[in-house]
Amino acid sequence: MSLVGYTLAIFVIVAALATAMFRDVLSAIIVFGAYSLGMAILYTLLLAPDVAMTEAAIGAGVTTILLLLTIAKTTRPTTDRLFESIDVPALFVVGAFVVVLGTQVLPEMYAVGDSEAPVWSNPEVTQAYLEQTYEDTGVQNAVTAVLAAYRGFDTFGEAVVVFAAGIATLLVLKREVFA
Amino acid sequence: MGGRYGGEHGDTYTESQVILTAVKIIAPFTLTYGMFMTLHGADTPGGSFQGGAIIGVTVLMLAFAFGIEPTRQWLKNSVIVSMVGGGVAIFIGVGLATIALGGSFLEYRLFFTVLGIPDGTKWGMEAIEVGGIALIVAGVVITLFFATAAGFTPARYRSTPEVETADDEVLSDD
Repeated sequence: MSLVGYTLAIFVIVAALATAMFRDVLSAIIVFGAYSLGMAILYTLLLAPDVAMTEAAIGAGVTTILLLLTIAKTTRPTTDRLFESIDVPALFVVGAFVVVLGTQVLPEMYAVGDSEAPVWSNPEVTQAYLEQTYEDTGVQNAVTAVLAAYRGFDTFGEAVVVFAAGIATLLVLKREVFA
Repeated sequence: MGGRYGGEHGDTYTESQVILTAVKIIAPFTLTYGMFMTLHGADTPGGSFQGGAIIGVTVLMLAFAFGIEPTRQWLKNSVIVSMVGGGVAIFIGVGLATIALGGSFLEYRLFFTVLGIPDGTKWGMEAIEVGGIALIVAGVVITLFFATAAGFTPARYRSTPEVETADDEVLSDD
C-alpha cells in the first residue's frame, strides 16, 4: 500500500475509535459518516470500485441520514464531557480480541496483489470468469455478470431481502403507507 | 415527543437558503449519476444497487431541503408501492419467463435461442438490474427514510388530524 493507503487506514481506525468514544451521539454519527467515506476511498485504492460505491452510497449516505433522523426523535443530553468514560473490563475484552486477531490472523493474510493468494492460485476459476464473461453474457463488468447472471438466484434472494426490510420497517412502525 | 430536536410530526424543518440552493444545484446531478450508474453498470463499475441507492438519496436530499412533510405529500404512496412491488414482480417475472420458455430460473440465453432477441442474455440482465433491483433499492431507501421520520406517529390515510395525542394510543394498543 502507498502512503495514501496507510494514511487512510490510520484515519479510518481513528474515526472508528472516535465513533465509539464520543459522548455526544451527534458527533459520533458524523465521525461514523467520515469513517464510511474513508473506507470507500480505501476500497477504491484496493481496486474494488463496486464495493466502494456501495459503501459511499449506503454507508456514508443513507445510514448517516437514517441515524440522524433517529436521534432527532430523541432528546439530546447536555454534557460538558467530550468522551465517554472507559469501561475497563470491556476495554480488556476488546483489547484481548484485537491482540489475538492482530497476532494470529493478520500475519496469515496475503498481501494485496500476492500471486500466492487463493484468488490467483486458482486460475481455472478466476480466469474462467474474466475470460468468458463477455462471451457468455455480453457485458463487460465481470462483477455485474456474476451478480446478475451466474449467481442470479442469489441476487434475487438479496433483492427480496431488501424488499422484506422495507416491509418489516413499516410493520414495526405500524404504518400502512410507504411514503 | 418534543425534546430538543422534536417538533410536530417529528419534523424539525428550518428553511436554510444555503441548503436549499445547494440541493437545487446538486439534485439533478445526483439523479443523473444514479441513473447513469444503473444503466451503465453492465460495462463500468457500479450497478443497479448503488445506482438505486443514489436515486433514492436524491429524494432524501429534497426532503432535507424542502422539509419532510411537504416532500411526503409531493411523493405519491402509489408511486413508491409500484416501485418496490413492481421491482420484485419484474425480477420474478423475468425468472419465471425463462422457466416458461423451457429453461431454469433466470436462464437468460433462452431469450436469444427461443425468442430470437439479439443479445438476449444482456437484455435479460438489464431487465432485472434496471427494472428490478434499482427500483426496489430506491423505493426501500425512500420508505426507510419516511417511515423513520414518521416514527410512531400513525400517519395512515384515514388518520384524524390529532396526531399529537395519537402517539400514546398506539403504544397502549399493545
